[in-house]
Amino acid sequence: MTAETLSPTRERSPLNNRLRAMMTQENLITFVVAIIVAGAVIVPLAVLFVSSFKVLDPLGWDTTWGFGNYVEIVTDRIIPKAFLNTLIISSGSTVLATFLGVSLAWINARTNCPGRDYLEPYNLIPFFLSPFIGAIAWHNLGEPQTGLLNNWARQIFGIEGAIINVDNIWGVIWVTGIFFAPLVYLFVVGSLRRMDPSLEDSARTTGAGLVRTTMTVTLPLVMPGILSGAIIVFVTSAGEFGVPFKLSAPYGWETLTTQIFSKAVGDDANHFLGAAMSMALGVITVFLIWVQQRYIAPRSFTTVTGKGFRPNVLDLGRWRWLAFAYNLMFIAVAVVLPIVCLIIVSLHPVWTGKIVWADLTTINYVKTLFWWRPDAIAAATNGIANSLILAFGGASIAMVMALVISYMIHRTKGFGVRMLDFLSVVPIGFPGIVLAMGVLVTYIQTPIYATLWILMLAYITRFFPYGQRNISSIMLAISEELDQSSRMAGASWFTTLWRITIPLLKPGLFAGWILLFIIFLRELSISIILFTTGTETLSVGVYYLTNFENEPLTAALSMAQTVLLLIAIYAFRRFAGREALTA
Amino acid sequence: MTTETIDAYLQVDNLVKYFGNDKAVDDISFGIPEGAFLTLLGPSGCGKTTTLMSVAGLHSIDGGRIKVGDTVFTSPKEGLFLPPEKRDIGMVFQSYAIWPHMTVAENVAYPLEIRKMQQSEIDDRVSEVLKLVGLTDETDKLATNLSGGQQQRASLARAIVSNPRLLLFDEPLSNLDLKLREQMRVELKRIQNEVGITAIYVTHDQAEALVMSDEIIVMSKGKIEQRGGPLEIYSRPVNEYVSNFIGVANLLKGKVIEVNEPGQGVFELAQGGKKVKMPCLLSPGISAGEDAVLSVRPENVHAVREKDDSTSLEGEVTFAIFLGSHVDCRVQWGDFEWKVIAHPRTKLKAGEKVYLSFDPEHTLAVQP
Ligand SMILES: Nc1ncnc2c1ncn2[C@@H]1O[C@H](COP(=O)(O)OP(=O)(O)OP(=O)(O)O)[C@@H](O)[C@H]1O
Ligand SMILES: [Mg+2]
Repeated sequence: MTAETLSPTRERSPLNNRLRAMMTQENLITFVVAIIVAGAVIVPLAVLFVSSFKVLDPLGWDTTWGFGNYVEIVTDRIIPKAFLNTLIISSGSTVLATFLGVSLAWINARTNCPGRDYLEPYNLIPFFLSPFIGAIAWHNLGEPQTGLLNNWARQIFGIEGAIINVDNIWGVIWVTGIFFAPLVYLFVVGSLRRMDPSLEDSARTTGAGLVRTTMTVTLPLVMPGILSGAIIVFVTSAGEFGVPFKLSAPYGWETLTTQIFSKAVGDDANHFLGAAMSMALGVITVFLIWVQQRYIAPRSFTTVTGKGFRPNVLDLGRWRWLAFAYNLMFIAVAVVLPIVCLIIVSLHPVWTGKIVWADLTTINYVKTLFWWRPDAIAAATNGIANSLILAFGGASIAMVMALVISYMIHRTKGFGVRMLDFLSVVPIGFPGIVLAMGVLVTYIQTPIYATLWILMLAYITRFFPYGQRNISSIMLAISEELDQSSRMAGASWFTTLWRITIPLLKPGLFAGWILLFIIFLRELSISIILFTTGTETLSVGVYYLTNFENEPLTAALSMAQTVLLLIAIYAFRRFAGREALTA
Repeated sequence: MTTETIDAYLQVDNLVKYFGNDKAVDDISFGIPEGAFLTLLGPSGCGKTTTLMSVAGLHSIDGGRIKVGDTVFTSPKEGLFLPPEKRDIGMVFQSYAIWPHMTVAENVAYPLEIRKMQQSEIDDRVSEVLKLVGLTDETDKLATNLSGGQQQRASLARAIVSNPRLLLFDEPLSNLDLKLREQMRVELKRIQNEVGITAIYVTHDQAEALVMSDEIIVMSKGKIEQRGGPLEIYSRPVNEYVSNFIGVANLLKGKVIEVNEPGQGVFELAQGGKKVKMPCLLSPGISAGEDAVLSVRPENVHAVREKDDSTSLEGEVTFAIFLGSHVDCRVQWGDFEWKVIAHPRTKLKAGEKVYLSFDPEHTLAVQP
């Protein structure tokens, strides 16, 4: 047989044979998952887009097609201001979070600040806690009349009036800034730690001082990380609902998210206008995330040299105690003060700003937690049960999906893989409230509306990428030959997955699961759009209490949520590495 | 290129594999008799792994047909593709691919568990195979606690434990240090012999190929350059590429000017600045008047101090290194430098004038 007789080209077999050859376990499962993911991600966004062009007539009966909603966004009395407020808040909290995050990361990774090995876990706690709860706590700390800090100031210094007031957009910037600082921290601390110390040393030898070296060598080297962190903070702040809802909206500073919320569930509900506003917000965030993923994230690897070696750190001299104090201050304002304040408030029957030792009571916990009691508040007790169901179920389902998707992206070479890769970045670009509006307008007519399923669907769609990244990072590190040798040993694709791949991925699966569990347990901006009576979540319960009940009850449920989250954080630290966090 | 082997056990016909628009394997055919040890040898990127993976079924192929015994493994034209787990093949990977979450014994038992054998049979077979590869003391260690050579052995044990019909190796020794590598070559070959299994071995190390193989296929750029036994490949390379890739050769451009008997002729050198004719063997397909390349191994160039009838060239020794069993010399002849391996008793020294003579039996005219 010679090479000429059979032309060496791709041979094509009869169609039915080819189809049979394609019907393997692997192809079938991955195909099904691809369809599900595409449906879950694309459909709500597409429906959201289409709905934004439906204009409700003044009576609210009928719709026509047109740009009316977008015109209204620009001409409305409140919306343009809300848009501006969102930009101010996002910019402000980005600046604050970036400053805090970079300085804390630098102190922990590059200096001889005392106790830095113990500080890091505490620096990261706000990342896991709910900013909404942070806002509630800070409201009780910094409200002019009833704020604890203001009262203490009046008692101790004997001043009149208040020293701080957080019920305005500065308060929103303050709370979002401190709660999102760990995001920036996580983006830069790794490259700071792995940075080649000779880069700094060589700058020092040219005569540049410490400050100058840090500004001209160290920080530019980690610039991609800083930029990535800053963009993520901007986008997350723009999509944040709880903080402005608590601190600024009641006092006249509406934001896009609080406006979307009132269009979705408020008295003047207009889903189509809400859809248009969501589109406006989504376009901005998607653009920023696209820039980050496309141009900034790929560059952040270039600053990292060797792995695993600990560079010698800068000796700060006497200043190291200042660095230490600064770090403690951060932990105090971001973690300790809010939690202490919530505990104090939650133990009072009514909160007037002063601790009344004689009045201390546990009645607030009884009313919000003891579901069997007649005086239990249903929104709170439902919230705990529903959130636990959603967190357990959602995290589990999402991780299964994430596993299959990571497997496809890294182990199969077929078509559809690039689309999956793309689909698992898209949800990161859309704030939860935007995606929730899409899910709302898509499924409001279907039976899953008003069930926990719609919440579960939205949660998973929005957050599975975080789980997927946890798995992917490990999958990239383990050789494909480990899977292949199992196939050669006679195991089918599924057996291989079950006996080889999954056991090897266990750390990533577990880290991803707990991360999603935490995210789902505190989720607010999706839940607030999609909940109905009976399907309240924990954060919705807190929302209900702060809106319709009083601060002590709110504080009690907030504490319950915080304790659950702290337990999960502990488990996360115990079983997963720091690497698992950088999504 | 005719490569059909009579009563071949594994038969690969016209294998074609694309990655995107690049042909990684371009129309390769070969067969191996049962129990043979075949090596695919070639430089990095020539498509060895791709060929092996095609046999293993770890990726689909774009053309051709692969058959073992009476079973067709894959044939896209007929729409046939047997998934890898159904092919009954053992494979040893470059990274060993020992599963880190299992002990050595669990790793080796895995293929038997998949085949749903009884536990007692599994235990017997596992200890038998571990003994064969010399790992009896490491049975219950976690794979991550093994040395490179031990992982290699465990990987081999796992590949042969289920008595597969074919054993594939993808550069299994390239992660070991030189000493261990030389030892493992012999060991692998011994075990393969003992088990009597048909094996395909991929490597870019020619010494490995020459030591271990019954047959070698030299590949380049997705095509087969030559196929033959180690001695044949070494002493009768068919073209310049193979001469150069296997061992060391003096390669000079020129022309075949005469064919006397089939396979024998006279070559005229066009390189080196002087016109010299010398009798030589012709590799298949070369006829009179064609451009060709003269290929002579250094050990087949004889350097002597006195000129006589048999010497054909005169040159000057540029350097000579005494290496115990032989002397490695360079002899400048015009603008060409001959590599010569001389016997120590010739006592050649740099700067001396020498005469080179050639044995027609070991002087080859090969295709450029
Ligand atoms: N998965 C893949 N996708 C795209 N191209 C590939 C892939 N695998 C191999 N190739 C290309 O196919 C060609 C042959 O690769 P192959 O791995 O078979 O080479 P090799 O002979 O095994 O080389 P080495 O000695 O380096 O292992 C190379 O050009 C390689 O770049
Ligand atoms: Mg290879």
